[in-house]
Amino acid sequence: MESFTPLTAALGGALIGLAAAVLWLGNGRIAGISGIFGQLLPPAQTVVWRVVFLVALVAATFAAAQLFPGLGVGGEAPARLVEAPPAWGVPTPVWLAIAGLLTGLGTKIGNGCTSGHGVCGLARLSLRSLVAMLVFFGVAIVTVAVTGVV
Amino acid sequence: MANLRLPYLATAALSGLLFGSGLYVSQMVDPFKVLHFLDFGAIPSGGWDPSLAFVMGAALIVMFVAVRIGRGRAAPLFDTSFHEPEYKKIDRRLIGGAVLFGIGWGMAGICPGPAISLIGFLPDNLWIFLVAMFAGSLAGSFIVPSGHARRLADAK
Repeated sequence: MESFTPLTAALGGALIGLAAAVLWLGNGRIAGISGIFGQLLPPAQTVVWRVVFLVALVAATFAAAQLFPGLGVGGEAPARLVEAPPAWGVPTPVWLAIAGLLTGLGTKIGNGCTSGHGVCGLARLSLRSLVAMLVFFGVAIVTVAVTGVV
Repeated sequence: MANLRLPYLATAALSGLLFGSGLYVSQMVDPFKVLHFLDFGAIPSGGWDPSLAFVMGAALIVMFVAVRIGRGRAAPLFDTSFHEPEYKKIDRRLIGGAVLFGIGWGMAGICPGPAISLIGFLPDNLWIFLVAMFAGSLAGSFIVPSGHARRLADAK
């Protein structure tokens, strides 16, 4: 468990919780990323705050990596995505395209992702979110075991 | 309109900044960090990384307090009401969507938050994942109505 980082995990988690708290108590909105980017189209008036939020999200990640480069990927180590497991005989771009497609489609149909269901939904004691979270965590764990991607 | 005023947009910006910082500090922008949590097969050998549970736990505690504070108020600071999802039914869409997302998440270790914030680092092939994710979301919006008001109407 050499890679286990409980302190930065809890600190980062608290920041994510604070982000969700600010958006909820300030604007009454759920900080669910799939919902925020998934409702950019069709263009409505809410597009403005959604874009502002997403631009700030990217800017903060980049800035944090410059300020605290020692924390890992994006700082001292370049970020990289997975490669397709060789046993599956699929080129990596195709593998990532399928993963991206399923992530976008699944979070739209299931109405939420790790932040919307996981953080905001559970905090609201939503049974829907609890069920969704148990399902996508369970399926993801099985998928990692089956694909052997790491 | 309320959602174009400066305090409202500043709140959205502050939330995005905190969220992005949190994703970097917790290292959840790293797909491998996420995958090493999902890799339960590594538990016996000691190679499992439980960090993600600490991220979720801490975020949940903070947001739980915020929801409690919100319950005592009629409205958020900068809008006329809390946009709380009213649709409560556990249906096939919820389960099916979660299954599809679970497969995608397990394949790449990237959920929507990190997918967007990785734009800051532009790793190879990221654009493929992003375009596919956006296309998937758009395709999904033809299958299910977007927004909980339309979803509620659709359920009737």
